[in-house]
Amino acid sequence: MTRPVLLSTLLLAGIAALGGGSDAWAQSHGGGRALAPGVKVEVAPAPGSGSAPAAGKVDETALRYYARIGDGERLEAEIARLRALDPTWEPPKDLFAPQPTTPGIDETPFWNLVSAGKVAEARAAIAEQRRKSPSWQPSDKLLQELDLAESAGRIRSASDTKRWQEVVDAAAANPEAVACNRLDNAWRLAEAYAELKQTDRAFDTYKTIVTSCPKAKERRDTIFKASRHLSPDRLRELTALGATANPATGEDYSTVRTAEAELETGRLLERLGNSKAGALSAADLSRVQGIVRDKQDADGAIALGWYFQKQKNFAEAQSWFSQANGWAPSDRAAEGLVLAYNGLGEKAQARAAAAPWKGKSNRVDQALKAVDPPRGPAGGGRGGPQGPSELDRALARQDYAACIAIIRASIAKSGPTAALLQQRGWCLLELKRPSEAEAAFAEAQVLAAREPAKGGASAGGASAGAAVPRTPSAGGLPQSATLAQENAYGQAIARLATGDVAGLTRDLPRANMTAAQKAEIRASLMATEANRALEDKRYNDVLRLLDARKQLEPEPRNLGILRGWALYNLMRYDEAYDQFKAIDDRLSTEESREGVTITWKTIYHDW
Amino acid sequence: MPETPPKTAKVRALLLAALAAVTLLTSGCAGWVRDNLTQAPTPWRRIQPTALPVTLPDSRDFPIVAARMRDTGTVYKSYVVALGNPTVLPGENRLTVDVQTLPDSLFGALVQPPRVFPVPLYTMETLTETTKREFPDMRIKVADGARRNRYGDYDYVTAQDGENSCVLAWQLITDHKRTLPERIEAIRLDYRVCGVGSNIRALLAPFEAMTLTLPETVLEVQDLGGL
Repeated sequence: MTRPVLLSTLLLAGIAALGGGSDAWAQSHGGGRALAPGVKVEVAPAPGSGSAPAAGKVDETALRYYARIGDGERLEAEIARLRALDPTWEPPKDLFAPQPTTPGIDETPFWNLVSAGKVAEARAAIAEQRRKSPSWQPSDKLLQELDLAESAGRIRSASDTKRWQEVVDAAAANPEAVACNRLDNAWRLAEAYAELKQTDRAFDTYKTIVTSCPKAKERRDTIFKASRHLSPDRLRELTALGATANPATGEDYSTVRTAEAELETGRLLERLGNSKAGALSAADLSRVQGIVRDKQDADGAIALGWYFQKQKNFAEAQSWFSQANGWAPSDRAAEGLVLAYNGLGEKAQARAAAAPWKGKSNRVDQALKAVDPPRGPAGGGRGGPQGPSELDRALARQDYAACIAIIRASIAKSGPTAALLQQRGWCLLELKRPSEAEAAFAEAQVLAAREPAKGGASAGGASAGAAVPRTPSAGGLPQSATLAQENAYGQAIARLATGDVAGLTRDLPRANMTAAQKAEIRASLMATEANRALEDKRYNDVLRLLDARKQLEPEPRNLGILRGWALYNLMRYDEAYDQFKAIDDRLSTEESREGVTITWKTIYHDW
Repeated sequence: MPETPPKTAKVRALLLAALAAVTLLTSGCAGWVRDNLTQAPTPWRRIQPTALPVTLPDSRDFPIVAARMRDTGTVYKSYVVALGNPTVLPGENRLTVDVQTLPDSLFGALVQPPRVFPVPLYTMETLTETTKREFPDMRIKVADGARRNRYGDYDYVTAQDGENSCVLAWQLITDHKRTLPERIEAIRLDYRVCGVGSNIRALLAPFEAMTLTLPETVLEVQDLGGL
């Protein structure tokens, strides 16, 4: 099997985008060959080879090195490259016999350094060798690999620091650094074009990859990468090309089409979350329901639940939330279930659905307030009937703007109560107005202290002044928080949202909260700190914080990804791979796939 | 008899030099922390409104709810003033102030943190993205002409729905001839406010009436005509 060797046109695709397409470029330079309708890839000669070398003169250094270390994939690519240079050339029969590249000097240590990414060390070792043996010259291939590795390093560094124009410049300076065997760099180049708003060039770069890199997995990964930057139409075009252009023997390109289907499902689920009622067509809705059922996707079921809940189709919503809770019990599913039952007027069922999470999950406790609202003028009327009030209905449909408006009207009419102000705090938090939310909780706190008799029942039904037994959060019985504790907890959540990590860490030990609430806030603080540590490149600190956090709460998916990158940056590649793989096996997302791919490529030097 | 004192002095000097070298080397190893940490932003910390480098006019609709600040290296100080929001719309009303000072040492000049705000402050793309995020489901309009506050011209966007109006205004002060003191390289202001009704001027009034109160005097532009 031969494979298209170089992707110098990844860059030229950009030029072509300006100058009328890659066809024109390839034709004007000769040597371009059609790969697919509208796509041509230039097979670039090796650096320094102005014309094809005479038979028997090709540099086999790299070939022998790859044979020696048993890197079959690169060996194959090198054979193809040498054949492109000299069609009469045949691989030597003694390829696997040990042979020093240059009599007396074995280049293996330098190649090992290059393979390990230690380019500066390799240069230094070569210089040292030349000092010892002035007549010795490193092979052209070795020098070429060094140049390539340096260019690749420049591309990675510029891309990591978002210096997009430098990515393009570095790739232009050494087009071989963005070849199929350095696919990550090609992706980075495409991303750079996209970030520079040169979408056509980004598309052309992706197109060159999916039409010339032979591996189905690489094409599939490219589709996922491209999905961040290209419109659905262009992505469809890219997928069609990737699934058909230049097929290689033994590769199954149906996975490329599957990638598009997965992305489409993701898009539909996202629309479910964001859309107004009725925004999804019946066909799309039916399709996404089928996929969610087939995959028993609890997150998808929750998204469907909220979609129907917003349409006030409570029966359908209840069915999907129940389904999600059956597949993977979670407080998110329980929250929806409580509100859906409440919408149906089945309060007993709503309370039963909340029972496993009551006192343990803030979101379920909040949802329960729609079922058993706190006492107050808008919460059903002090001592009045307990039917769903206007505020309850607003909360049930997650209409937080209405919540603010109703509470404002209530306060204007009957004056503030601690429970009303607290509810206002929660609604402001949902509206991403944490500073005002914190003020509302503080105000509620002051009012609760003044009116202990009217403190009202909290989610757990305890009165403001009631003594709460202190039990350890881990493994302990769920605690009911007093109104004062809920206010303190609300203030802490608001402070977290404003980024007041240092102040909150300082005040947390003295805060009047239940042990479970404190543990939740402490876990959130540690997660915030871990994120900050990763930004500061303090990778050991990331692991230290995440380990400590794990003792308080199970690690969520996003922090698992964070842990993977900390391990990766500490060069604990095997552990990083295991971490990403474990997450990816549970639910494959763009982030988990990126982690798996990059660590795999790093471990096997498959850039 | 040959004289010996010079030999003792040499040995002593050598010992001292070796000790100094070892001290330098080991202190470097033991105390080395990644140098970019000093350039990373500190966590936000709350401050009293009186500690802000800006004074806003008293406003019933937009009172100061909270104030926060953070440093990035020794060059940048950033302040966020959270303002009251009389609407039921999502998002905090706020004024953000970033003050960029000149480094006060050669080392500071050599090792500077990345700029905490982009220049230009917005492109059409980033502005579209920001307004979509700040004012979802509202009609957005980029103002054709700039307006002027005490420190020069500024640009703004308006957003409206049936009941409410919002503005996003931004300004980069770099005039060293008159406005800025020598030590300050630039001041960036970003103002986002939503209010009930359709009176855009009322929303912009706090931004136009505010005064900067940095330790060194920031002069106002002379000509306030055209308001």
